[in-house]
Amino acid sequence: MSGHGGSKKTTGTRAIQAAALLVTFGVLYGVTRVTPELETHLGTVTAIGFLLLAGTLMSELLETIGLPHLSGYLLAGIIGGPHILHLVDHHTVTELSPVNTLALSLIALAGGAELRLDTLRSVARGLAWATLIQSTFVLVCVASVFLAIASFIPFTQGMNLKALIGVALLWGVLAVSRSPSACMGILSQTRAKGPVATFSLAFIMLSDVVVVILLATMLMLARPLVTGSGGISLEDFTVLGHELLGSIAVGVTLGLGLSIYLRLVGHQLLLVLLAIGFGLSDTFAYIHVDSLLAFLAAGFVVTNLSDQGPKLLHSIEQTGSVVFVVFFATAGAHLDIPLLRKLWPIAVALCASRALFTVIAGRISSRLAEDPPILRRWGWSSLVSQAGLALGLSVVIAKAFPAFGEGFRSLAIAAVALNEMVGPILFKFALDRAGETDHEPEVRPSLPPAAATK
Amino acid sequence: MNAIAFLLGLLVLSYLGSILVGGRTIRGFGLASGAEYLVLGFVLGPQVLSVVGHTLVEAFQPVVLVGVSWLGLVLGVSYLRVGERRVPLPHIALSITLSALVSACVSVTVFFGATYFSPLPRIEVIAFAATAGIICSETTRHSVRWIVERYAAKGPLADLAADTARASALFPALALAVVCAWLPGAALPAFSVLERVGVSLGLGTVLGGTAALLLGREFRRDESWGILLGTSLLGTGAATRLNLSPISTTFAMGLTLALVSRHSVDIKAMVTPTEKPVLLPVLLLAGAYVNVKLPMPLLVLVATAIVAKILARVFCGALLSITTRSVRGVGLEFGGSMLSCGALGLAIALSFAIRHPGVVADTVLLVASVGVLLGEWLGPGSLRRALARAGEIKPEVPGPQPTLPSEA
Repeated sequence: MSGHGGSKKTTGTRAIQAAALLVTFGVLYGVTRVTPELETHLGTVTAIGFLLLAGTLMSELLETIGLPHLSGYLLAGIIGGPHILHLVDHHTVTELSPVNTLALSLIALAGGAELRLDTLRSVARGLAWATLIQSTFVLVCVASVFLAIASFIPFTQGMNLKALIGVALLWGVLAVSRSPSACMGILSQTRAKGPVATFSLAFIMLSDVVVVILLATMLMLARPLVTGSGGISLEDFTVLGHELLGSIAVGVTLGLGLSIYLRLVGHQLLLVLLAIGFGLSDTFAYIHVDSLLAFLAAGFVVTNLSDQGPKLLHSIEQTGSVVFVVFFATAGAHLDIPLLRKLWPIAVALCASRALFTVIAGRISSRLAEDPPILRRWGWSSLVSQAGLALGLSVVIAKAFPAFGEGFRSLAIAAVALNEMVGPILFKFALDRAGETDHEPEVRPSLPPAAATK
Repeated sequence: MNAIAFLLGLLVLSYLGSILVGGRTIRGFGLASGAEYLVLGFVLGPQVLSVVGHTLVEAFQPVVLVGVSWLGLVLGVSYLRVGERRVPLPHIALSITLSALVSACVSVTVFFGATYFSPLPRIEVIAFAATAGIICSETTRHSVRWIVERYAAKGPLADLAADTARASALFPALALAVVCAWLPGAALPAFSVLERVGVSLGLGTVLGGTAALLLGREFRRDESWGILLGTSLLGTGAATRLNLSPISTTFAMGLTLALVSRHSVDIKAMVTPTEKPVLLPVLLLAGAYVNVKLPMPLLVLVATAIVAKILARVFCGALLSITTRSVRGVGLEFGGSMLSCGALGLAIALSFAIRHPGVVADTVLLVASVGVLLGEWLGPGSLRRALARAGEIKPEVPGPQPTLPSEA
C-alpha cells in the first residue's frame, strides 16, 4: 500500500503481521460461519474492511520474497473471495463497483499528472516506435497463434476461415491492451525512477488511447468477416471521433478547474477527489465521454499548464493508499478460478505467445528507436500485465458479437487472470534488475500506492 | 433525489464539516452540537419536503452505520485525553457514576410511564426505557469545548466540565452493547447476553490490539489510515452481522488503541479532525430518519424522558455542589450544562433504529433529537453562567472568537 523505502522490517514485525492476517481471516471466517444465512448490505462494509486489512498485510508478507504489493492484494482477494474461503461473496464483489470507479478515476488522474511534456519529449522517439510495433506486430502475431490453435478453442468450433480470422483479429486487439493500474501500482510501491519506469508509464497511458482506436477499427473489419454480410461502415469512427474529442475537451476543462481550485483553495482535496471520482464518472458515462481519457487529460493539464501537479499527486497518493488496496483485492476476489481451471491450457498458450511477441516487439522497437541498453533489455516488462481495460474490451466485443461473445469473454477472463498475476511480478523484477527501485520515498513521492483492474 | 446527487450533497456537508474543524474560515459559525444539520435533515426528509425519500434513506443505511461506528472509534481513541491533558481517574469515575445515575432515573421513569400509559408490549417497553436512559446519559464535549474556548475559561470547574463530558461516552457505549445483545434477533443464540456483550467488546479489543501491534514502533500516517479504516470497517461489519452493537465494538477498539498503543496521541491527532466531516452527514441522515407522526402516548413518553433527564441532571448538579469543591455554589447551572448532548446520543439512537426498527426505534430517535435541540438551547448558556459565577471567565467580555481547532 505504501511505498517502500522505510526502515527494514524485523522478523518480529513480520510475525506480528502474519498473526494479524490470521486474526483478520479468523474474525471474518468465524462471523460468516456463525451467521451464514445473514446476507445483508452491510456485507460490503465488512468486505471493504477485510480486503483493506488482509490486502495490506498479505502484501507486506509477500514483500519478504520479493513479490510486489499488488500480488499481495490480489492474493488476499483470491483467498477470501467467492471461490476459495467465500468470505466475500459474488454479490458483494459486484457491490464494490463504486470503489473500482473511484480507483480508476484516481489512476487516470495520477497517470495524466505523471506525464510531463519534457519527459514525453525525451522518450518521444522510442514511444512512437514502440506504439507502432507493439500495436501491429503483437496484434498480428497473437492473432495468428489464435488462428493456429482455433481447433482447440470451444467457441470457434464450426466457424469458417473468414470468421476465424475476424475473431482472431479481435483477440489480437485484446492482446495489445495493457494495465495502467498495475503499472501505476508497481511504480508507486517501488518509487522507481529511471528510463524503464518513465517509458512504461508514458507508453501504457498512450496505449490506452491507441487500443480504443484499434478496437473500433477491428470491430469494423471483423463484422463482415464474422457475419458474412454487409460491408465496412465508417460510422463507428464518427462516434469514436466524437467521443475522443469530447473526452479530451471535458478533461481539459476539468483540469483547468482543478488547477484553479488547487491554487485558490488547495485544501480538503480528499473530499474533492471523492466527489470527482464518484460524481463525475457517472456524469461522464451519461454524456458518453470516456472517463479514463477525460481524467487522463485533466491530470495532464494540471501538471503541464499549472504548477499544482505535485499537490494533486500527493493528494491522490493519500486517497489511493486506501482505495487502491481495495480495488486490487476486489480484482483478486473477482478472478474466476473455476473458469481458469477449465480453460487454462488454451489461456496459457495464448498468454505465453502474447508475452513472447511483446518481448520481441520491444526489442525490435528499441533497436529502431536506438533506445538506451537498459530500455532495450527491460522496456517490455510492464506490458505483460492486463486487467480491467482488457476485460472491458472483451465485454464490448461480446456485446457486438453475441453468437460467440460469451465464449470469447470467458477465455479473455482466463487469460487476463494469468496476465494479472504474472505481469506485476515481471515488472517489479525488471525494475529491480534495472536498478531503478533503490530510491528513497522523497525522490519520487508522487505516484499513488499500489493497487487493480485496469 | 438521485443517490449520486445525495452522496455529493453529503460530501459537500463533509467539506463544510472539515472547514469547521479547520476553523480558518468560519469562526463562531454554527451550533456546538450541529443541531442545525439535524433540523435540515428533518426538513429535507420524508416527513416534510421529501427531497430525501424513504428509499434513499434506506439505501444510505450502511453509510449511517459506518459513520456512527467511526464516531465510536473517535470517541474511544480520544477518551483518555482532553487536548494534551490526561483525564484524571477520579473524573472518569465521577462521570461514569453521573451517567449511570441519569440513565437509571430516565429509564425507571420511562419504564413506569410506558407500562401504564402506552400499549407497547413489555419487551418493547424495556428496550425503549433502557435506550432512552442510555441516550440521556451522554454529555457532548463539543458544547463544553465551545464555551471554554469561546470565553477562554480556565480553572478547576472548566476542567471538570471538559473531563466529565469526555468521560461520559463510556457508559452509553457499554450499555448499548448490553441492550443490543439482549434484544431479540441477536446471532449466537447459544450464548448468554453477557457472553454476547463479551463478543461485542472482545471483537473491538482484539481488533484494537491488532491495530496497535501493526502500527508498531514507527508511526507512519499513510499506513496507519489503512490499518485503522480496515480494522474499524471489519469490526463494524462483523458486529452488525452478528446483530450486536457496532458502536460499542469500535469504541472498545478505540479505547484499546488509546490504552495500549504507544502512538495513541498521534492516532488521536489523526482521527479527531475527521469527526466533524463524518458527524455532519450523519446528523443530516439522522434528521431524515426522524418520525414525528407517532401515537400520542409515545409523544408523551418522549416528553417524560426529556423532563426526567432535566430533573436528573439538575439533581446531579445539586449533588455535585455538595460533594465537589469546584462545583460549590454553581450546582444547578453545572447540572444544566450537562444537558448538552449530540453525536453519541444520536449515533446510539440511529444504531438502535437500524438494529431494532419500528415504532420504539422512532420514539428513541425522537428522544435523542429533542435532547440535542434542548441541550443546545440550555446547555452552553448554563455552562457559561456556571463558569462566570465560579470566576473562571469574565462574564461581560467574551474572549477571542473560537477557532474550533482540531483538539488533538
